[in-house]
Order: sequence, then C-alpha cells, then structure tokens
Amino acid sequence: MPAGRALRRAGTQSQFERDQALLERIGWSRIEANEKRRLRRNFWVAFGFMAPAVALVSGLLLAPVVYNIYLSFTKWKRFKGLDEFAGAANYERLSTHRLFGDALYNTSLWVVASIIFPLAIGFGLAIFLRGVVLENTFKSVIFLPRILAPTAVGVIWFYVYAPDGVINRLLSLVAGGKVDIGFLYEENTVTPAIIATFVWQTVGLVMVLILLGLAAIPKDPLEAARIDGATRWQVFRSIVMPLLLPTILVVTILSVLSGFTVFDLLWIMGAANPELRTLSLAVFMYFEAFQKGSWAYGSAIAVIIGVVVLSVTWIQALLQHRVEKMTK
Amino acid sequence: MSLRSKILGVAAALSLTVGGATGALAADVQLFHDKGFWSEAFQKMGDASEQDTGNRIVEVAYANPEQYKAFIQSAIASGETPDMFTWWTGGVYKDLVASGAIAELDGIWEEILATGDFVESTRDFYKVGDHIYGVPLHLSRWVAFYNKAQFAEVGIEVPKTWDELMAAADALLVAGHAPFHATVQDGWRGFIWFQEIMIRTDPAAYNGLHDGSVPYDSDAVRNAFQVWADWYAKGYFSDPRSTEEAADFARGKGSIYLIGDWAVGLIEAAGMKAGDDFGVFIMPNMDAALPPSVIVEGGPIMMSKEALDKPDVVGALKYFVSVAGANAWAEASGNYMGNNNASPPNVLVANINDTVAAEGTLALERWWEAVPADVQGEAVAEFNRFMLNPTMETAEEVMANIQEVNAEYWDSQ
Repeated sequence: MPAGRALRRAGTQSQFERDQALLERIGWSRIEANEKRRLRRNFWVAFGFMAPAVALVSGLLLAPVVYNIYLSFTKWKRFKGLDEFAGAANYERLSTHRLFGDALYNTSLWVVASIIFPLAIGFGLAIFLRGVVLENTFKSVIFLPRILAPTAVGVIWFYVYAPDGVINRLLSLVAGGKVDIGFLYEENTVTPAIIATFVWQTVGLVMVLILLGLAAIPKDPLEAARIDGATRWQVFRSIVMPLLLPTILVVTILSVLSGFTVFDLLWIMGAANPELRTLSLAVFMYFEAFQKGSWAYGSAIAVIIGVVVLSVTWIQALLQHRVEKMTK
Repeated sequence: MSLRSKILGVAAALSLTVGGATGALAADVQLFHDKGFWSEAFQKMGDASEQDTGNRIVEVAYANPEQYKAFIQSAIASGETPDMFTWWTGGVYKDLVASGAIAELDGIWEEILATGDFVESTRDFYKVGDHIYGVPLHLSRWVAFYNKAQFAEVGIEVPKTWDELMAAADALLVAGHAPFHATVQDGWRGFIWFQEIMIRTDPAAYNGLHDGSVPYDSDAVRNAFQVWADWYAKGYFSDPRSTEEAADFARGKGSIYLIGDWAVGLIEAAGMKAGDDFGVFIMPNMDAALPPSVIVEGGPIMMSKEALDKPDVVGALKYFVSVAGANAWAEASGNYMGNNNASPPNVLVANINDTVAAEGTLALERWWEAVPADVQGEAVAEFNRFMLNPTMETAEEVMANIQEVNAEYWDSQ
C-alpha cells in the first residue's frame, strides 16, 4: 500500500473514532432509538387512520379484481365447482368468438361517441345559453334528463323510436306518407339511436360543468386581450380554451366512464334486437356470464373490458399531465 | 308513572312486539319468483293460504329473470338456497338438480297422486333420472287463440287440418287481415313459431334438437324455415316489431295468436272477452298421420333440501297444488296447473282440457326449457333475426350460427 494512502486511511479511521466518541457523549444512540420509535408510532397512527380505507379498497375493489382475474383462468360454470384450471383457454376461445369482434367494435364506437358528442353539444349549449333570456329555465330543462333513472330513460326512448313512435310519426308528417323505420331493430341504426339517447341524458351535466369552467375564468386577461384589439375568436382560442382545458379533461373522463359503464339503456332499448349481445362488451359479458352461466368465460371478458378501460384512462392521465404542465 | 315503570313498560311492549313478530314470521313461508307480472296473484294466493291453512305464502319477487337466475345461483353457491322458489323445466332444471341443493319430492308426489288430483304424466314432467324435484306452478299449453269476429267476417271455422289452416290464412289475407300474429317483443319470443312449425312438420326431429341428435342445419330444420319463410313471403304474419303483442291482437292486427294459455288474462286485459271475442284451438299437423300434440310449458316450484324438514314450507307446497290452492291460484292468476279436480281458470282452458282429453294429445316440452341454456339465448336471438328479415338467405345464416353454438355445447358434454 502506498505510504500516502495508508496515512489518509489512518487519519480517516481516527476521525471516525472521534465522531463515534462524540456521538456517544451526546447520547446519539438514545436519540436515534427515540426517533425510530417515534417514526414507528407515527406510521401505526397513520396506518390506523388509513386502515378503514385500505380495508375497503382492498376488500371491495382490489380483491374482487384479483379474484376475477383468477376466475378467468378456470372452467367455473353455473352450479359447477371452481376446481378446474383452464389456463388461457377462455382467452383463446374469446379471440375466435364470432361475436367478440362486433362487441369490441361497438364498444369502441361508444368510447369515441361518448367523448365527442356530449362534449361538443354540451360545449355549444354552454356558450349559446350564456346570457340568453330564460337562461336558467333552459339550463334546468336540458339538465332534467340527468336526474332520470337510465332504465326509465330507456323505456321512454324505446317507445319514441318504435315503428309507430313519435319520431316515425314526425317523419311521416314531413315525408307526407307512412314512415316506420325500426330504429332499434336494424343493425345499422340501433347503436346510433341508443348513443343519441345517451347523449340526450348526459349533455345536461356536461353543459353545467362547462358553464362552471367558463365562470371560473378570470376577467382580467379577457379584458386585456380585448383592449389589445383581439377578435372574439382570438380571445376564445388563445385565452378561453387554454383556461378551460382542465374542465374539458374532467368532462371527457366523466363521459368516457359513463359511456363504458352504460348497460341499462342497451339492455332496455336493444332487448328485441338480434344484435343485443354485441351492443357492447358489457352486454356480451352479461350474456355469457349470467344467461349461459359461463362465469369463468364472463370473467375473461371482464378482464378484457378492464384492460380497455385502463388503456383509455391511461391516455387520459397522460393528457391531464400535459394540460397541467401547460396551465402552470 | 316512575321512570322504572316506564322502562319496564317499554321493555314489556318490545318483548310482546318481537314475540308477536317472531310468531308471525314462523307462519310465513317465502316463495321466491321472477314473475313480477303475477305479483298481485301471488299476494292473493298468500291471503288464500293464510285463510285455509293459517300459514301465509309470502312472495319475494324479482322483476328480471336473468337477475333472478343469478340470485338463485349465488344463493346455492353460498349454501343459502331459498326454501321455496319457482324455476323452469328443461336444461336449467337439470343443472339446478345437479347442484345437489334441491329436495326430492318423491314422497310428496306419492301423496299428491293418491288424491287423484294429478296424473302421473304431469308428475313426470318434473322428473330428473328417477326422482321428482318440482310441483307445478302452472302447466300451460301453447295454443292458437283466434279472433272470432275476423273468422266470422270471412266465414271460416276453426281449422282441423293443415289444408284448412292454409285456406283460413288465405281467406283472412284476402280480407285484409294478417292471419298470424307474431312479434320479437322483449327478445324472447322468436322461438314460438319455429317450435310450432317443427312439431307440425317433424316432431321427432323437434325432440332430436334437444338431445343434440338433430343439428340445427339439418333438412328437418331447413324445411321448417322454408315453411316459415313462405308464410312471411305470402304476407301471413303481422309486423314483428309490435311492442304490444297482446294489445295488438286485441286491436285486430293479427287473427291467430300463438302463445301459452296463461295469456288469456293478458288478452282480456287488452279488451277482449274469452269465449266471446276470442276462441282457442290446437294447431293441426302438416301430416295428418302424425299424432295430435301440443307444446307444454311446466313452470315448477322447487324446494331446498333443508326445507323438507320445515313443516310450514312443506305444508305451503302441498297447499299450492291442492284443489283449494289450485282454485285460488286459478282465480288469482288465470293459470291452470294440471289439477284435474280443480276448476279450470277460464272457459278457454276448459276447452283445451276437453280437446286434450278427447284426442289424447301428446305433450311436448317447450323449446325454451328443452334447449340447453348455453344455446337458448343465442338461438332465440337468431330466430328474431330471421323474423325481422324472413328470407331463406337469412335462414341459412341463422341455422349455421345456431348450429355452431349447438355443436360446441354438445361436443363439450
């Protein structure tokens, strides 16, 4: 060992020993033990406060999800034991199922439609209704469908779309002859018809949220822009829209989630349609799990739905992150 | 009154209330079902059972059959099978029995048969293997109701042969009436005319569909679809998109309405009077050499194994199928349950009973119950698809699609 290095090491050791002696003199080990005890106590106090929430989330959300994933790898059927492992058979069967592609396609339509239409119409209404006569009355009327149960909405619109329903009667008046389109019976019209009902029900909430977002925009930058000679479009594009982005994102998340979870409307309005099973992945899962009693297979479909939902919400989370960075 | 006296008084009142309530509950027997449309009838049945036996049958209603099925499945899986509940015959009945949670009613049926109220063939409807697991909630025959005014208008009688049926249909069509009434309402009705045409053209093949020996793309099925498609092409059927089936029959939108005899009450509620405004007949066979037959729907009431040790529940079950119970049920719901010594619920059911007895009509199980549960939902949706686009091209697709599911099911057995 070189002499210089040996000297440095000796010096360091002696420094270390000196530090140890100092720590011992001031009772550092006792302080350290107390600190550890305090941290441990704090942890358990915090854990005590969190425990109910942790138990609820674990017991009611995480455990069923994990259990569902496990079920999707079994052969569990109605009245039959949960004792046979199926490997990936349920997923293989799903990938070749004649109706799975249609259900997935319709679910994609729902996701896209539930983002675009409620937002576009709700935004338009919010802008249009600001400051008009009877503004509050209009807003209340537009919001009203939101407080109705989806089942009731489904029944009402089932009769509105019926071959002798209101829409066909109006079309007959316009056409001057009998029109009896089976909106809910035709493959091409059933999904758009139910999406239109969904939009009718959800647009009120979107409008209210956008109105709240608009009300929260500070007046100063708007006035400053106008004084600087900005046109209404420039004000809207460069000031209103960026400040409204967080609200729009929240609205989008809410719309997508309600679009994914819609079941009642499809079940009621599509009851007589031969394509009912494929109107969404949720309905497809219900058919397989509860009508046919293939619970394991239904669980596999539920896992696929979960993956699709997670993918969409992941994209939304990325967008949210970006918007937060933009607005900071 | 001192505070102590007040506390004692409240305690005494509470104990009486709880005791009274417990006493009342002990005499209540719950009957779970999914037939919300008969809710009022079940309540009347509860009144009758309390009056006749002291034990009240209390309904627990589920509005949706799928939710109800899920509830029963979960209840059995968790070892909490309801004491008494309604179910269906056929594939789902066998599945339920296979769970091992259902009581064998062989002994109860011995007592029932000894009274002479029922015949053995009714009992056998509820048999799986060597044992019986249900009693009838209703025993409905699927028959043709006809509009008497429209028949009189065109001068036709009840058709006794296939040729007469076709002649009647042509005459009604010429007079501007849709001869046959059929809809896809609620999504489950698609099988009705399929099963009827199958049993009128090839009853052996119809039975073969249910044990997997006859495929859905066989010639027998293709022939039935051909008849069905021809009738649609001729304009025999009413608009399949009717949303008020019984009411539309009462409005005259179809002359012959094929449905279970439980629908008499629904048609009467829509404004027609049984016997006066509408009558009933059993459809004739295409081949006159075939024996007369009728589709039968035998909705069962079943019991859990544990309930066999509960005298109140056993008593309630026996009451339901007794003459007094059958009469009360018939009056409340308009349903026949096969009790020979009870009064028929209406004149049309009496007519059907007479016809069946006189002609020795064979009972064939309704397609809905006979078909495996794995095939049922997809097949009925395919039948609906055909009804909405009734061509042979659609029929070929429908047959292929059903057979795919059917073959998958039977291959897995």
